[in-house]
Amino acid sequence: MLELKNISKSYKNKNVLRDINLTIDSGEIVSLLGPSGCGKTTLLNIVLGLTEQTDGQLFYNGQDISKQSMQDRGFNIVFQDFALFPHLNAYDNIVYGLKNKKQQMSKAEIQEYVDFLELAPHLHKKIHELSGGQKQRVSIARTLVMQPKILLLDEPLSALDGVIKESIKERIKSIARQFKLTTIIVTHDPEEALTLSDKVLIINEGTVSQYGTPHEILKTPKNQFVEDFILKQLHIKRHNIYQLFGESYA
Amino acid sequence: MLKTNKMVKILFLPIVFFFLFFLIVPLLYMFWQSLKKGNSITIQNYVEALQSVEIREAFLNSFQVSFVAAVITTCLAFALAYAMHFTTMNQHLKKLVHIGVTLPMLLPTITYGFVLLYTFGNQGILTKLLGQPLVTIYGFNGLLIGYVLYTLPVAFILMQNSMQYIDKRFLLVSMLMHDRPSRRFYHTVFRPMIGTIGGAFILTFILSFTDFGIPASVGGGYKVIATELYQAMLGSIVRFEQGAVISVLMLVPAVLGIVMLSVLDRFNFQYKHVSQSALAVHRLRDNTFTVLSLVCVSVIFIIFSTMFIVPFTKGYPYDFSFTLEHVQNVLAEKNLTRVYMNSLIVAFFTAILGVCIAFVSALLNVRTPLKGRSTLDFASMITNTVPGMVLGLSYLFFFNGSSLKGTFFIIIAYTVVHFFTTPYLMAKNSLQKMDPTWEVTGELLKDSWLQTVIRVILPNIRPTIFQMFSYYFLNAMVTVSGVIFLVSTKTMLVSTRIKELQHFAKYTDIFVLSIFILCTNLIVKLGCDYITTNKEKFKEM
Repeated sequence: MLELKNISKSYKNKNVLRDINLTIDSGEIVSLLGPSGCGKTTLLNIVLGLTEQTDGQLFYNGQDISKQSMQDRGFNIVFQDFALFPHLNAYDNIVYGLKNKKQQMSKAEIQEYVDFLELAPHLHKKIHELSGGQKQRVSIARTLVMQPKILLLDEPLSALDGVIKESIKERIKSIARQFKLTTIIVTHDPEEALTLSDKVLIINEGTVSQYGTPHEILKTPKNQFVEDFILKQLHIKRHNIYQLFGESYA
Repeated sequence: MLKTNKMVKILFLPIVFFFLFFLIVPLLYMFWQSLKKGNSITIQNYVEALQSVEIREAFLNSFQVSFVAAVITTCLAFALAYAMHFTTMNQHLKKLVHIGVTLPMLLPTITYGFVLLYTFGNQGILTKLLGQPLVTIYGFNGLLIGYVLYTLPVAFILMQNSMQYIDKRFLLVSMLMHDRPSRRFYHTVFRPMIGTIGGAFILTFILSFTDFGIPASVGGGYKVIATELYQAMLGSIVRFEQGAVISVLMLVPAVLGIVMLSVLDRFNFQYKHVSQSALAVHRLRDNTFTVLSLVCVSVIFIIFSTMFIVPFTKGYPYDFSFTLEHVQNVLAEKNLTRVYMNSLIVAFFTAILGVCIAFVSALLNVRTPLKGRSTLDFASMITNTVPGMVLGLSYLFFFNGSSLKGTFFIIIAYTVVHFFTTPYLMAKNSLQKMDPTWEVTGELLKDSWLQTVIRVILPNIRPTIFQMFSYYFLNAMVTVSGVIFLVSTKTMLVSTRIKELQHFAKYTDIFVLSIFILCTNLIVKLGCDYITTNKEKFKEM
């Protein structure tokens, strides 16, 4: 369980985040949703340990981790553009971090991850020979073999084309289930957030606008921002799709 | 697809002729000369040259000192570039390092040698401070220090450029993967830099191997290939065939180097994105590199400070009182002011002609479907390979009987050809980045091709044009190696005049002239930089 208590962040005289409180249960998928510049990436970096909060505390399973370094926290992140080492092939990228671990992982265990992410045919390809979706999966595999306590994903779908998006969504869900892995996703797309996660944290101008399940957010939007930014977009999308298929498909 | 129109061909022809007459034919002619003995064609000249103990020794010496210099320069340049990009060293210090390291580029290499003599020599500042000479400056030591000073800016700029395009976020990935520092360094800095490191090494080696200015001033009895070539051609006993042979031999390492560069290119890879991420503070690392950078910059400043002290003191090193006498003397001497004007004329027209040729070549190569446009890439590869001395010598052979001999034009043509590669690549780079649909858009809006170039391309490439101008101007002001074969008494330049002043031991005059060159170059460079950055600021608004 991860708990954030009164997290604030300011740069010089600018408040980026104010008084964020949040509890995430083990194995949950939580999306951080908001327009660009709302502070969601900063919040992700604070959880990761890359950025230090100005105020507030973080607890992981009851233990105060507010002052722990990024390495000691043992969380890990998949970057938006995957950040795979261009001079190594897919397999060497996947096992990159294993060489630094005391406890060796067996070939069979690595194979399990490879099979789960359906990467077996691509292991010996160079990074530039992989498609976007394959790069994404290699990057996820590289992170998963490190057995992180929490998996962070920065805009995981934004660099992928339409068709592959849906399959990666399913993949992320099944990873969380399979490894009982707490997953935090940053996104600016309401549809993505609401269809992918157990809970959604909507952030606006550095504060929490609403935190709840997708159902709660759709049924009882807490304020004008949630209605305007989240619901309106979805309504327009629904309207467009109805127009394409006709009401009968609803 | 755009059609090749007449205008494109009209522009292409003179450029092809220019490179034919001022690059290809002279080189072939020189090669032919090296095979001539009396009236027969033979390899006898080569056999004789290779049997000559002196030439063999000079070759070996050149190789040795250039190799050591290249190793030192490459390491230093890497460390300094690393300090700029991968440490949280003070921002002002970073700027100072950049200026300090690249400043010597604004001076002719022949000046370096005299500056070294005045710093490390018997009467030098360091010698006075220490009581005895630190090292014997004539010969190996002097050449080594001179070559390092000369090639460090080039290697540093190469490394800097390359490090700029390394994705710094991999440092973060590496930390998340719990890498040790050594493994982090390998995967995030060293491995991505291998190609550049090799490239910098080869380049600095070739530059040192073929430089004439430094051995001319501090070589002493230590024979190197460049001074041997000079002796063969302009020494007391002229041996043309031997000169031709030596210059062909000089080409060998240069050609090998270029081949190796293309092999090294396979180690290079590009990052898709270059994201900047904040560097972690690391006290020991940052302090170490701060000290190293400070030491390097101080050494460079101390060495070159003599250049500013000597001309303004009454009787260095005995009487340190300030005087403008020497400067006034130089200004009063018509001979010297005329030489300075000559240099200005040559540099200015070189820059104008050079920019035109490089820009049009790049334009034809990148943005037209012209047949044969790849010959321009070929030309740029050759100009990059052929050492200045070799090119200058080939002109001496080829234009010897012609009316071009001893004119400004031949010096300008030589300089344009010799320094062609960099400005050409600069222009190519910018042109490639521009939207490829402009010409089509222009045509659809009823512009002719030339109109589109003038109305759309030129305004957008202006900053690069100024940078090209500045590059040509600066190099034309400082180049020595090739022009020594081409100047006449009428077309004497500052850099070659310095060579003459050496005979009369007029070192103060040498330094005054060097300061003139430095100031001129600074004004031109700062002016061009100002125009470039101003334009960019304007764009951002």
